[in-house]
Amino acid sequence: MPEQPTGAVALTVRSLRKNFGKFVALDGVDLSVRQGERRAVIGPNGAGKTTLINVLGGQLVGDSGSVMLGTRNLMKKYPHQMSRLGIGRTFQISSTFPRMTVFDNMLSAHVCSASWWFSLSAGRLKRIKDEVMSELEIIHLDRMADQVVEDISHGDRKRLEFGMVLATKPSLLLLDEPTAGMGLQERHELIDLVLKEVTRRKLTLVFVEHDIDIVFKAAEHITVMALGKVFAEGKPEEIAKHQGVQEIYLGG
Amino acid sequence: MTEANPPSRPLDVDSTAVNWKLTGVLVALTAIALFVLDPRSVFAITEVMIFVLFASALNLVLSYSGMVSFGHGVYFGLGAYGIALTVARFDWPIWAGLMAGPVLATIAGLVYGFLSVQLTFIYAGMLTLACAEVTFGIAHQWFSFTGGESGITGYVVTRLGLSPEMFGLTVLIVVTVSLLLLWRIVHSPLGLVIRAVGENPMRAGAMGHNRKTIQLIAFTISGFFSGVAGTLYGVFHGNVFPDYVGAQFTLDGLVMVLLGGLYSFSAGIYGAVIFKLADNIVSHYFELWELVIGIILMSVIILSPAGIAGYVNRLLEHLRRRTHA
Repeated sequence: MPEQPTGAVALTVRSLRKNFGKFVALDGVDLSVRQGERRAVIGPNGAGKTTLINVLGGQLVGDSGSVMLGTRNLMKKYPHQMSRLGIGRTFQISSTFPRMTVFDNMLSAHVCSASWWFSLSAGRLKRIKDEVMSELEIIHLDRMADQVVEDISHGDRKRLEFGMVLATKPSLLLLDEPTAGMGLQERHELIDLVLKEVTRRKLTLVFVEHDIDIVFKAAEHITVMALGKVFAEGKPEEIAKHQGVQEIYLGG
Repeated sequence: MTEANPPSRPLDVDSTAVNWKLTGVLVALTAIALFVLDPRSVFAITEVMIFVLFASALNLVLSYSGMVSFGHGVYFGLGAYGIALTVARFDWPIWAGLMAGPVLATIAGLVYGFLSVQLTFIYAGMLTLACAEVTFGIAHQWFSFTGGESGITGYVVTRLGLSPEMFGLTVLIVVTVSLLLLWRIVHSPLGLVIRAVGENPMRAGAMGHNRKTIQLIAFTISGFFSGVAGTLYGVFHGNVFPDYVGAQFTLDGLVMVLLGGLYSFSAGIYGAVIFKLADNIVSHYFELWELVIGIILMSVIILSPAGIAGYVNRLLEHLRRRTHA
């Protein structure tokens, strides 16, 4: 396999603004993420992290500024267009199909991202059965394939959502608090899984996370946001030493 | 008590095939019934079959696409108006009129569906109701074209001149083929995308599908099959009235689906059969048969939100587990 070109910029955000009425959620955000990079976005509550992810995913429309994926302008695109362009995302509260089984959830992910989604052939579904099962194996949910998602645990649901997003074969992965609400061991298991898959598939990763251990374990670069702006940016060790960051976020 | 939000049955990719044995037995039994029973019963069975199709078409929207429709009578009634208007007003041949019914209903589904999917939840539902009111208004007021209140009668010989049992057999064939097509759609990749959008539009959106587009596809398909049912109904009685696009048919369809059980393919089948049986049999002995339907519906919603179909499925599941244990 030839090496992916390192150094090429995957995602560029310029002067991105987003207001909710009088509340300024994003106050001119600049961000540049390289291909294959693992970038954490951290910051106190209300810093605008989730708003940023939502604009990148298309769930929210930015008021001004620009978002570029490679050379393509993403401003004012819909979520389904973002997905088709290779942006896959998870949500802060895991978003799956609760009344379907684990298997059907993964099957849906495959079919939704397939070019033949409008097909009426049941044979198409049968043919990808093994592929779906192996995707479930990757996220260790193959034994729960028959369970209805409503009945599985919070952590399993988050893992399922991550697996479903992987199944859509994104190039840029946006994870909004991937380990929120999980136990300590479960958090590390999940982030190890994320790192393994991101490396194996050569994905670009942008994730929002509150657990500092997880951040330092997974991120190559950290962007610190505060009050809708990028407050600091750098390698984990630089951020750890950053005086201002310690004051506003790490608690001194 | 059961949960308010019944889980849909897992879509086992290996069992998406049609149960041909069961289908064959049901079709054969119905066909035999058509030829051995008296004409009054044959008419009742024919009407039940037409409503099985209408309710199943509505069920595609309600159970799978995540939409509500408070105006589905429109697509049913426009099936009947499609043939009546083209034959009576434009002198089209009968066969072309038979095509025109479902086509008109499909176009209405596409146009009204397009308007309705711009909104979500109850607001979209209210828009379907508004569209239905407009259609009813046109059918009711445009006297020179639609015949107004007195509708259009005598545009075809009742039942196309067929004997009750032969017409019943025709309806049986059309309804069976339509249900098989609906089954195919629900259990296909497209059906899965419709279900995905219906269950969680945000997740489906983040995986490449626009809620509006997918819901519009489902709504239009539903319009087509409702139109097929309505065309059959128009030919069955040889007439069409504004009521056919009115609130009563809409309401009956909704009651049938709820009775049959949301999130189940067979909702329309169980619902229409029980509803029309109550209509035909209970009304014989008891004038207030709608009261009986009301009480049945209340009990079903409280005791088994998944409806009759959900109850039957649970029963079958229970039996299956016991035999496997």
